Amino acid sequence: MARDRSQSGDYTGPLRRLLLAVLVLLLGAIFLLWRIDSPRVERFRAQVTDKLVPNLDWAMAPVTGTVNLLRDFQSYQRLTEQNQELRSELRRMQTWKEAALQLEQENARLLDLNNVRLDPRLTYVTGVVMADSGSPFRQSVLLNVGARDGLVEGWATMDGIGLVGRISGVGENTARVILLTDTSSRIPAVIQPSGQRAIIAGDNSAAPPIDFLENPDLVRPGDRVISSGDGGVFPAGLLIGQIAADPSGRLRIRLAADFERLEFLRVLRHHGTDAVVNSPSVIATAPSATNLPAAESEPPAVTE
Amino acid sequence: MDELSPARVWLMRSAFVALALLLLFFHLLPIDTQPVSLFSPELFPPLEAIDPAEARLRALLDQGTDRVLVGPDLLIAFAFAWSLRRPEYVPALLLAMLFLLNDLLLQRPPGLWALLALLACNNLSNRSRSLRDATFGAEWIAVSLLLVGILLMNRIVLSVLMVQPPQLRLSLMELGMTIAIYPFVVLVTRTLMGVRHAGPGELDSLGGRG
Repeated sequence: MARDRSQSGDYTGPLRRLLLAVLVLLLGAIFLLWRIDSPRVERFRAQVTDKLVPNLDWAMAPVTGTVNLLRDFQSYQRLTEQNQELRSELRRMQTWKEAALQLEQENARLLDLNNVRLDPRLTYVTGVVMADSGSPFRQSVLLNVGARDGLVEGWATMDGIGLVGRISGVGENTARVILLTDTSSRIPAVIQPSGQRAIIAGDNSAAPPIDFLENPDLVRPGDRVISSGDGGVFPAGLLIGQIAADPSGRLRIRLAADFERLEFLRVLRHHGTDAVVNSPSVIATAPSATNLPAAESEPPAVTE
Repeated sequence: MDELSPARVWLMRSAFVALALLLLFFHLLPIDTQPVSLFSPELFPPLEAIDPAEARLRALLDQGTDRVLVGPDLLIAFAFAWSLRRPEYVPALLLAMLFLLNDLLLQRPPGLWALLALLACNNLSNRSRSLRDATFGAEWIAVSLLLVGILLMNRIVLSVLMVQPPQLRLSLMELGMTIAIYPFVVLVTRTLMGVRHAGPGELDSLGGRG
């Protein structure tokens, strides 16, 4: 029996081959299901992540801390030097702070004079980064806040300074943030001061390129890029970064947020978008008022 | 000692699960939150020219922990090494579940990579008798060919179904790292974990059962 099992192929045995075939079919079916009905499988993925990763938190936090401690070893070596630099930097910042305070007061006065009301609903939830995407192909992080904290897909996420990404995939206790650098990230933006609109399209490099720019001649390196709020998913006016160019002349963004070590992220609550109501008033010439849903805020022409 | 007693087999199976979970754990640690810097283009004008204060601040905040390289895919390397030596320690069901879990948690299209890896492992375990008598070079070549093969199949299937495949240069880098690390994986498998080929006189799994 043992003579030529390697050639004959019945080494695996019919039962094992059957099991293998079933597994192959099952995995193939899961993949096809993902291809056909991606949102459902992605929700399942979010639930699996939600069940598993928070359980690892007790181990992840200390190991991450240790790894970061070891990585910081280089910077410990130039501690005194760094301290002096920081002190002089602080002194410079103090003058800036004075200038900023004065400007803030002036700004408040001007806003008051013009009777401007800022959006009071723009509040935030702060989450701790629990895990990253785990592979170099995707750029995302997992936060320890989720549906329990009222998070909704699409909300903007910032670190202290700039935009980091958007929420995509919310579990009960966790939420995934697709970073600006991920290949699937597309963020509408405005370039100041020229007011040009563009799309920030992540490409898995540290400086995402700018797409769909109307007139590149009006844009100069160092121009600030902020979110435009187009599409209504994001609040407008969040700092993204500065314009720069790569050696081939393509415009890219030097991101303002520090992606090197993301620890705490702010998720901006955003309720400002009005839902798109499926009203025939745009297409049909004379819409009947009875067709419109009662809850809709109707245009004055229809109510009369 | 009895390499094939049920206790030993189940011990080694759970050891493999523990190993896979440990690798997953280290993948998920939030220490790599920026893209691989090897391909990041140099930006100009440099920040010092536009905003010296910001540049100084960034230099101070920079922790010098750039993510330069892509790491190897250790799970598949270990799965290959174990499948070649002791297929009964890594049954298909176990492999399928572990690979699927990796697909789900590492943001890959679920199922496809698991399917290809499972087929490759099965292929290797079928050939474990012929490769047992061959040199390590032959094993290395077989493993490398399989790795290239599943990488190509993965890309082909994703392209056919119009899913954006992973970046080629990153994939190739990962492939190269995995192939390069494979001898060390085998070394660790043999010496530290004690997973060796069944000797010519020993019974293999089928002999043990029947």
